Amino acid sequence: MIQELENILPNITNEYQKVSLQNAIAIGIPSMKQEEWKYTYYNKILQQGFIPKDVTSLKDLPSLNIEKEFIDEYSVSSNQLIFVDGIFHAELSQFNSHPKINFWNTNNISEHHTKDFLLELNNAFATDGIFLEIGDHVIAEELIEIFYINTNSKNIVNLKNKIKVGKNAQVKLAEYYISTENQPAYNNIVTEIEIAADSIVELDKIQDAGSLYNITDNTFIKQEKNAVVTVNTISLTGGITRNILQFDVNGEHATANMNGLYLLQNNEHVDNRTLVNHNVANCESHELYKGILDEKSTGVFNGKIIVKQPAQKTNAFQSNRNILLSNDANIYTKPQLEIFADDVKCSHGATTSQIEDSELFYLRARGIGKEVARGLLVYAFAADIVERIKNEKLRNKLQSRIAELLKIEL
Amino acid sequence: MLKINNLHASIDNKEILKGFSLEVNAGEVHAIMGPNGTGKSTLAAVLTGKDGYEVTQGTVEFDGKNLLELEPEERAQQGVFLAFQYPIEIPGVSNANFLKAAVNEIRKSKGEPNIAPSEFLKLMREKMALVEMNKDFISRSVNQGFSGGEKKRNEIFQMAMLDPKLAILDETDSGLDIDALRIVANGVNKLRTKDNAFVVITHYQRLLDYIIPDFVHVMYNGKIVKTGDKSLALELEEKGYDWIKELELA
Repeated sequence: MIQELENILPNITNEYQKVSLQNAIAIGIPSMKQEEWKYTYYNKILQQGFIPKDVTSLKDLPSLNIEKEFIDEYSVSSNQLIFVDGIFHAELSQFNSHPKINFWNTNNISEHHTKDFLLELNNAFATDGIFLEIGDHVIAEELIEIFYINTNSKNIVNLKNKIKVGKNAQVKLAEYYISTENQPAYNNIVTEIEIAADSIVELDKIQDAGSLYNITDNTFIKQEKNAVVTVNTISLTGGITRNILQFDVNGEHATANMNGLYLLQNNEHVDNRTLVNHNVANCESHELYKGILDEKSTGVFNGKIIVKQPAQKTNAFQSNRNILLSNDANIYTKPQLEIFADDVKCSHGATTSQIEDSELFYLRARGIGKEVARGLLVYAFAADIVERIKNEKLRNKLQSRIAELLKIEL
Repeated sequence: MLKINNLHASIDNKEILKGFSLEVNAGEVHAIMGPNGTGKSTLAAVLTGKDGYEVTQGTVEFDGKNLLELEPEERAQQGVFLAFQYPIEIPGVSNANFLKAAVNEIRKSKGEPNIAPSEFLKLMREKMALVEMNKDFISRSVNQGFSGGEKKRNEIFQMAMLDPKLAILDETDSGLDIDALRIVANGVNKLRTKDNAFVVITHYQRLLDYIIPDFVHVMYNGKIVKTGDKSLALELEEKGYDWIKELELA
């Protein structure tokens, strides 16, 4: 992989991209020897033959054929922003125009380098992305949907999104990571969201693209005072998925909510890493991630909350709960709290259990067979997270999909 | 309908049932009374197939079938119902989804198609009225946040929905105030037919003021030590259980 990156380097003319690629090469591919990659074997994605392509060569890709019906299977909104293999698909996309919702030009993206391989890879190869600005006081009724669709491509798809939400605005966004067929795919997506004071924002990430779809998702959120921001990450089917979610809570009386569900089978692997920086006083964060792990699947949860010295009166709560349905499934969970302020309320915890025998017996005593009874109980465990999604249509779709995956009828 | 013959059962190698025998026919209501720790709830658990109990001796026949060989769900599908002494809370599973699954699983076991949604709703409403349940009950999670009385009413409601041949009520009266007791008893009385039967396990006589039993059995130390009619319950109420203990020794 590094060799391939070195080969590409001379073709890159843009100075920023060039430096990013040089950085990526210098940092090197993530290794399981690194603490933050201890349980996720990144090379397993690359071994499937994915290579990054520079922007110029991507333009030669054949035009892609996606049926509208395919989108409609997932979509619950008339705001659909659609990327196919890393390129914005204008014909398929639609958006209800609004005087205070604007799309920017890609050139406006801020340039900043990091010490993270995936972020530098994204800097070097990002082909496209959503650059969305929601004006002050805008209340966007309709959900804004972003689709990352992969067909059959051995390119590493790099997308970079930037979303700015103005003051006292309300918006709901949903990202769908899907695939036309169960084809190998790898998406490395970076999303930066800045949320001004008094706004309410929900972002739902729906990952359901089949066992060959790999994701490294990197979402960075900065929120100002009184802003209430909720991110719901729902991982249903996938190959290797790694979700990085970082909140910088920068204004007082702001609330950050993070909910996650991973429903894993086969050899699926989901690694959720969250970081909340409580930088100022009087803020809250609520985090609940729930996992259901069957067969040979693996879940990784690493949740870190840092309460900085000025962040007095912080309320930070974090919980990770897991159900293991198989002896071969694994969960590695590590909640972390670092508190530098003295007047705070914080809690964290992780549990791993099996289905409660008493609950199972109660259902069976009513004539419900063991498998259906298990399915119902697991469904209930999962539904707790899905119920936090505000959009009713999306919630209903997810509930049916989860019931289907658990082989139960509701 | 139900023939229990010389049943011995233990939990953690401790024998609880020590030669329990009982025959229940269609149309009958049997009350089983007795002091705490005498094996009443163990009997209910063994009859419904709860894990952890070992039957060491004896037989249980239900409609001619060996009940002890069946899985818990198969027993329920055959028409055995247990109203739990301590109903389980199931967060996230709504009463509607729970009962729809139960009704459909029972229908499936008989080769019948799933119940139509409209028919199911109609049935729910009808049976909810029977135990005076509020409308919001349908969408609430099973027993979650229910008061003691609501939980017991829910057991009777479930019984009404599933229409079993044999219902075992395990201390359904415990923890009930007089209004809830009346609602529960009314529910049971309305469900009584010549084709079904009830085994009412209770510690106190007061439930039997409302549900009139055909037989009252006194259980002590893992078996029935005395059988009589409803007057036996009154006698127990008056004298307490101490004289029963002497009876067993005699």
